[in-house]
Amino acid sequence: MSATLTITGLTRWYPATGAPTLDAIDLTVPAGGCVALLGPSGSGKSTALRLVAGLDTPDSGTVLIDGRSLAGIPPELRHTVLVFQSPRLFPHLNVLDNVAFPLLVAGSPRGQARDDAAQFLDLVGLTSLAHRRPATLSGGQEQRVALARALAARPDVLLLDEPFSALDPTVRAEMHTLLVELRAAVEPTILLVTHDQNEAAVLADTTAVLLDGRIAQHDRIDQLYARPVSLAVHGFLGGRNAVAGRVDDGAHHSRLGTLELPADVVVPRGPATLVVRQEAIRLVPTDRRADLLGVVSAVTARGARALVEVTVAGMSLTTESGPGERFEPGDRVGVVLPLDQRHAVPPATSMRSGESGSSRDVLRRATT
Amino acid sequence: MTALVTPAPHGRSGRRVLRARVEARAAKWGRRAGTVAVTALLLVPFLPILLWAFADRWPYPELAPTVWGVGGWLTATAQGAWPALTRSLLLGLTVSAIATPLGAMAGRALARGRVPYGKMVTALLLAPVAVPPFAVTMGLTTVALRLGVPGVVALVAVLVVAAVPYTTYIMRAAYAGYDEGFEETARTLGAGSRHVLLRVHLPLVAPALAAAAFLAFLVGWSDYVVTLLIGAGRIVSLPLLLGASASASGNDPTIAVLALLATIPPVLLLTAVTVLSRRRTQR
Repeated sequence: MSATLTITGLTRWYPATGAPTLDAIDLTVPAGGCVALLGPSGSGKSTALRLVAGLDTPDSGTVLIDGRSLAGIPPELRHTVLVFQSPRLFPHLNVLDNVAFPLLVAGSPRGQARDDAAQFLDLVGLTSLAHRRPATLSGGQEQRVALARALAARPDVLLLDEPFSALDPTVRAEMHTLLVELRAAVEPTILLVTHDQNEAAVLADTTAVLLDGRIAQHDRIDQLYARPVSLAVHGFLGGRNAVAGRVDDGAHHSRLGTLELPADVVVPRGPATLVVRQEAIRLVPTDRRADLLGVVSAVTARGARALVEVTVAGMSLTTESGPGERFEPGDRVGVVLPLDQRHAVPPATSMRSGESGSSRDVLRRATT
Repeated sequence: MTALVTPAPHGRSGRRVLRARVEARAAKWGRRAGTVAVTALLLVPFLPILLWAFADRWPYPELAPTVWGVGGWLTATAQGAWPALTRSLLLGLTVSAIATPLGAMAGRALARGRVPYGKMVTALLLAPVAVPPFAVTMGLTTVALRLGVPGVVALVAVLVVAAVPYTTYIMRAAYAGYDEGFEETARTLGAGSRHVLLRVHLPLVAPALAAAAFLAFLVGWSDYVVTLLIGAGRIVSLPLLLGASASASGNDPTIAVLALLATIPPVLLLTAVTVLSRRRTQR
């Protein structure tokens, strides 16, 4: 049921646009694995899935399943099932017949197709709704049926295009749990498109960040957070701290002073921007050991945690306070930047045009 | 099991509950009465026809026929009502069978913006509806005669032209709301083009297709002017027979029978279409 999906040099250029929607994408999803394609809207994520499914034709590049090229093969013969954000259950068929659809068109007799479909319906926990019409289902139930139907096609690769984005947060969390269970049960190869970092974190083994039609970075999600390759990735993932400076002798020099970098961060000598996730920065009383000293300038509530802005050497750093920690504007604090959480990326000047605006805003705030 | 006896409403809130209940019941009966009234309004004109069809004698000022019988049916049969009915059925079905697929294709192309100057084309398509059929047909009769086109072919062709605007209009609306994502989903699920057409596309547009086919059928079924002019009186359809006997004989039972015959097939078809689409929407 599962196969390796390999994408090489995949490029799609729509005539009306000035830049390619997808620019030479390379990506591998190992058999039984799940890779998330994470990007903002308009980054070309859905285009990538349509190209893999054969609903669109690439201008160049190849899609391989277990090493076999899919070029010229129509969608119905590719064994790549695409599940859209809208479940698109066939309204004229009941739930069971929707799930039986791929089995029927594959040539199964009706009775056998329905028996088979019932098992997939059981897999998503909706046996009791087998004879209902799709219009009577809730959004979450519809998407469960869509997943059962997709799995019933026994795809080599399951393509999920923001399948849970339209659902309520609680239902979405249920769907995440379900998908994790389905992965354990049938081990499909999954390429998941999402703009939700949490979804990528929960569901995928690795995550590829797609920015402006290119894969900016493909790694485990924790690595994306701690070791982004560029300011754009850092900014897209919500990183708020970027400090311009230069790297020399394994340390970053800036208005914050000299900060040693961890050994695994290899940055060429010269201009570089220090990035540290706001979650990683700790604030401590001034009498404790700290890397920097600063003054709290603003506190923004964020549920269980709060965003705390600290002014250090005329620059603003953002941190997250832990549960039970209270800060008021004007508090003098020690700022700890744990060594293994420090990272340096090439400076902003090397950013390609059109890269994520948020990182630039962060940079501007941090440098003024 | 819930309580057998609904607790009697009491107190001020009870009175309010009671009043709400009474109002709800009144509204329900009001709606029912409205439905009955509208249905009656539509059905009452048929009552005299139904009575006349089985009346051998119904002299003024009797309220009901004085002699019941099937004289009207015998006269109508003798005048060729059944072949005329068959002709009209065939005409309606043929027009429908040609105009519905044409309208579906045109409507699909128009809805997807694949037609240059689509809005103008849509307006032109509706033009035959606006122009009196008499004006159009007079010219076309001459053309058909000059070209030597057989009367029946010319008749079907002209009626198809008259029906296509309706079918196109309906199908354009249907395809405007049609989500091609269903077809894409079906394809990635392994359905080839034949399966996509038969199992997804056609079922999804079936209610609209049925409505379009019904209207196209009516164009052929109920046509009088075009059949009269192009058929030059040699193609006798049911409306022609009805028109002739209504204007000439004054034999009321016969006219009633013919009118009844002209009414029943469309009503049956409409019922079928309604039941079909109701089954689809009842989910």
